Parts: sequence; structure tokens; C-alpha cells
Amino acid sequence: MVMLFFFFVLPYANMLYISFLTRAYDEPYYHVATLANYANVLSDGFNWEIIGLTFWFAIVTAAATLALSYPVAYFMARSSSKRKGILLALVLAPLLVGVVVRSYGWMILLSDTGLVNQFLNWMGIGARKLMYNQTGVWIGLIHVYMPFMVISLMNALSDVDPELEKASRSLGASAWTTFWRVVWPLSLPGVAAGTVLVFVLSVSAYVIPSLLGGYNVLTAPLLIVQAVMDLFNWPLGSALAMVLFAVTVGTITLFNRIMSRAMKGIA
Amino acid sequence: MASIHIEEVTKRFGAITAVDRMRLDLQEGELIAFLGPSGCGKTTTLRMVAGFERPTAGAIRFGEQDVTNLAPERRNVGMVFQNYALFPHMTVTQNVAYGLQMRAVDASEVTRRVEAMLAKVQLNGLGDRYTRQISGGQQQRTALARALVINPSVLLLDEPLANLDAKLREEMRFYIRELQREFGITTIYVTHDQSEALVLADRIAVMMDGELHQLGAPKEIYERPASARVADFIGLANLIAGQVTSNRDGAVTIASQWGEIAARGGSELGAGKDVLVCVRPEAFTMSEGSGAPGLRREGDFTVVTGQVRELAYLGSIVDYQVEAAGGLSLRVQAVAGEEFPPGSPVELRFPAHKTWVVGSKPVSGNGPSV
Repeated sequence: MVMLFFFFVLPYANMLYISFLTRAYDEPYYHVATLANYANVLSDGFNWEIIGLTFWFAIVTAAATLALSYPVAYFMARSSSKRKGILLALVLAPLLVGVVVRSYGWMILLSDTGLVNQFLNWMGIGARKLMYNQTGVWIGLIHVYMPFMVISLMNALSDVDPELEKASRSLGASAWTTFWRVVWPLSLPGVAAGTVLVFVLSVSAYVIPSLLGGYNVLTAPLLIVQAVMDLFNWPLGSALAMVLFAVTVGTITLFNRIMSRAMKGIA
Repeated sequence: MASIHIEEVTKRFGAITAVDRMRLDLQEGELIAFLGPSGCGKTTTLRMVAGFERPTAGAIRFGEQDVTNLAPERRNVGMVFQNYALFPHMTVTQNVAYGLQMRAVDASEVTRRVEAMLAKVQLNGLGDRYTRQISGGQQQRTALARALVINPSVLLLDEPLANLDAKLREEMRFYIRELQREFGITTIYVTHDQSEALVLADRIAVMMDGELHQLGAPKEIYERPASARVADFIGLANLIAGQVTSNRDGAVTIASQWGEIAARGGSELGAGKDVLVCVRPEAFTMSEGSGAPGLRREGDFTVVTGQVRELAYLGSIVDYQVEAAGGLSLRVQAVAGEEFPPGSPVELRFPAHKTWVVGSKPVSGNGPSV
């Protein structure tokens, strides 16, 4: 709780405070209360466009990691504990390397003369622009956040008793129907947890969009950092951050409400 | 309804043979209990009948239909799992309706049949509860209802009572038997509990090490076990090592190191064969004894004199450990009444028709096996 206070509540409170102060040029801000920053942020359509794009990235990343991770997680959940351990280590291994290093790794692979494009050339397909655009950001986000999704799903799927699938089959349901009527609904807690986690991480991602998007793709965190570092406008940056925070929390709350309706009956 | 035919079925997992050339035919409407210690292959066999496992060799037929390679959802089996495997995200009604929905029965018909079935298993009024909100006994009846409502060709029960407390278990035995008779459905009942098998089954299939050791009516299995292991597994048995001296149409005379024993046994047990004599603890008539400890034959009876070493009072019966001469120790159960305290000399009589000979290599020791 103490940790939470010092590292989470306090900085946010500070930022909230700054977001109501007046912009200054000779120091970070003047201690004069104003609503101008919020008026600025909320009235500028460009900001909303960026937040929209950021959410679009986050939603697609969450959906893509969900689709890619589900089979992996299911396979792991149904593996013997020994094999499960090995697979888990493999899934988590990328997290041992910092996100910056991994992004540079992708840059080596995806650049105009990178490995992937060399291969595409050799195949006669021809090189494609794979980074410093949205494609690069997609690849980076999905790769980096997939382990979080796998772990969330695996935990939920491990709790789904394999006997339930057998029971469903014996009652006349095909493997496909069994999945949709039994396994999928029972895994929803993991789906919800993983989706929220990946969504939040993607919304707040800074390194991946900046390195793999090469400032051709502007997301909300990049915009905030620009406001603070480049424009030296701390109050505006803070106000932007607070708006992003509020919209994100609102979205998650809505999502959780929908999910908890879908999960009615699950413990 | 359908008969079930298990034909030379073998199941191997890697180097392990779980079921070895199992052959068994169930008649229509019959209830057979697969009885055996854990790891004997009874559950594996059941899962092959259900379609969750494919036999390595052999075939399974329901009536005329070969189902060996048929997917479980196409076999029309009703199965009750040991942990019930009720769907936790569905209510009792939804659980029971599931199988009917899979059969595309129309909604009003589903409602009608589910309600009728819930009434049958005395769950009316609980339909809207989630399965974790009802008791173990109610869960077990939900599982039965879910399996029966689809009018399955065969009913498969995998240790269905193992998770219930002792009293409920006893009640449910009779309940399941009644339900099975009423539906007249061919049933395989897997259990490791011999008393459950004895109460429920038309016939018992005793399985050990992946093989069918004996198949017969409960009385036959209990009174005329096919081997020392079967005798040992079903109930309590005193096993006394000896050698056949004569065999006239199943009336067998045995020479043991303590004396001659009159017994009954299969005609295949010729003179000179090493055997074990199986006497159930309740086969003895116990009275006050006199004379030197020993064992002798009196016509069609065998008489043992010895001393009570220990006794345990079990309510309706008393459990004795009786020590005769030369290390022969017998376990005796007598109806409670007059008790013989430890140290008192006693005489035990047992008739030949309650003394069964099993052909077996002598096992170490000759004390009672529990």
C-alpha cells in the first residue's frame, strides 16, 4: 500500500495538480490555477485523433495477441507440468531482454535492407516498407505483449477441467461446439484479464511506437512526451496525460462491465 | 438400449499395457461392475467404451454397430464422471438441457423433458441454481439426470459415488440401481469398492493388471473366487496353503501342514496340485474349546482348536484373531453376543461348502489376508 501510494498515487496527484497550472517559459510552470490546458486539449480535434489512433492500436493489438495466444495457452494448459514449465520459460524468455533492445532487434529484421526484405527480394516479391510506419508498430506491439496474454489465458485455461470437455462430447457436442459452449466461456476471466492488460500496456507504449514508428506514427504517449520535452509545456502535457488516463479507465470500466455480464455464473 | 461387446480389446500407452485382450459381453439392460484396484485398467476400458480412448487392438460394438472408431459425440452414451464434470457456468437446468440441445430437440420439448427428469431425480425447484450452489448429493443427481435425459444407448458410471460421504453413498447405491432398472439401460459401473459392486451389479468383472480375472454374479465371485488375488480383493479371506490329495467332482481334500481340510473346488484341481484354501471370516462357527491346539477333519467339516489372541468389537459383529498350532492364524467374524476374551480356548468349525480352493502358487505366509 505504501509502495502504491509513493509510486502511483503521489505522482498522479502531482500530475493532476500541474495540469491545472499556467504555462511558463522561464520555469516549468507558474502557480496560477487555470482550466486553459484542459480547454486546449479537449477542443483540439488533433488530440482526439491521436487518442483514437492510440486506442485503435491497443484494441487491434489486444485482439491479435488474443487470437495468437489462445492456441498456445490451451496447448500449455493441457501439457504435463514438466512440459508446461519448459514452454512457460520459452514464452517468458523474450521478457528477459529489455523492450528497447527487442525493438532494435526488430529494426534489424524489418529495415529496408533488413533480413526480411532481403528474403522478400530473393523470393522475387520485392522489398516492402515494414517499419517507420504502422506495420512496424503492429509487429512490435503484438510481439512484445503476447507473453502477458499467454500467461493470463493459460492460468484461466488450466482451471478448466478437461473432464468438462469429455462430458460435453459424450453429450453429443462436437469438438468445435464444445469449445464455444464450454471452454471459451470458462476461459473468459483470463480473456478479460489478458485483454485489459495488453490494452493498457499498448495504450501507454512509448518505446515501440517511437522506434518502430520512427515518429511517422504519432500515438498519445509520444504526443505527451513531445508536449513536455519538446514544447516544454508541462501543464499541457499533464492535462493530456490526465485525459488519456480518464478515457482509458472509462474504456476499461465499460469493457469489464460487458465482460462480467458475459461471465455471469462463473465463480 | 443396446448390448455392449468388448472384443479382444487391448490398450497400450507407450510400453505400458493398460488393458490386455479384454473380452466381455453385456446383455441389454444388464449392469456390470468393473471392479479392481486402481491402475487395473477398468477406467481405461470405460473410456474406450465412451470413445475418449481408441483401443490399440480389438473392437467395441453396441449391439450390431461397431463403434470402435466412432467419436464420443456420435455414440449416444450417457456418462457420469467421478467428479461429475458439471458445467460450472450453467445452471442445473442448463446442464441437463445441454445434451438435448446438441440433439436439436426443439425448445418446448427440451423444457418438458428436463423438467420431467429433474422431478424424477428429486431436483425440482433447484433448476435455476448454479452447480456450485447445490450439495454433493444434488450434484451427483444432476450428473445422473444429465446422462439419462438423452435416452442413451448405454450408461457409463465412473466411480460415481467416490466423492460422497459414507451414509449418502449407501443411499445412492440403491437409488442408482432403481433408476437403472427403471430405465432398463445397459450399464457399466466402474468402482474399486467391492461392497458397491456386490450391491449394485448383475455381474461383476474383476480386473487386475489390465486383465479380466473373473466374471460372474456377485455371489459367485464372493463364494467361488477364481484366484487368491480375487479372494483377497473381494472381502476378507483366510488363505491356507496346502496340496490336493483327492478331488471327486469338486469335493476336494487338502493336505495342509496342520492337517486335512475338507473343501470344494473346480474339477481342474488334480491331486498333487499346490493350492490355497480360502475361508471367509464369517464361515466359522465358534464355540468354547478344549484340547491341544490343532486342525482336524470331521467328515464334511474341518475343526480348528486354538486361542483367541485379539478381538475387536464392531457393533453387530465381533472380529477375532485366533491362534492355532504352528503359526496358523485365522481371522474370524462372529455375531455379537457371547464374546470370547483374549486367551480363551476356542473351537472353530467350518463346512466344506464354505471352503473354496483356489489354484495358486503358495504365497508367503499363511496368515489371514485383510
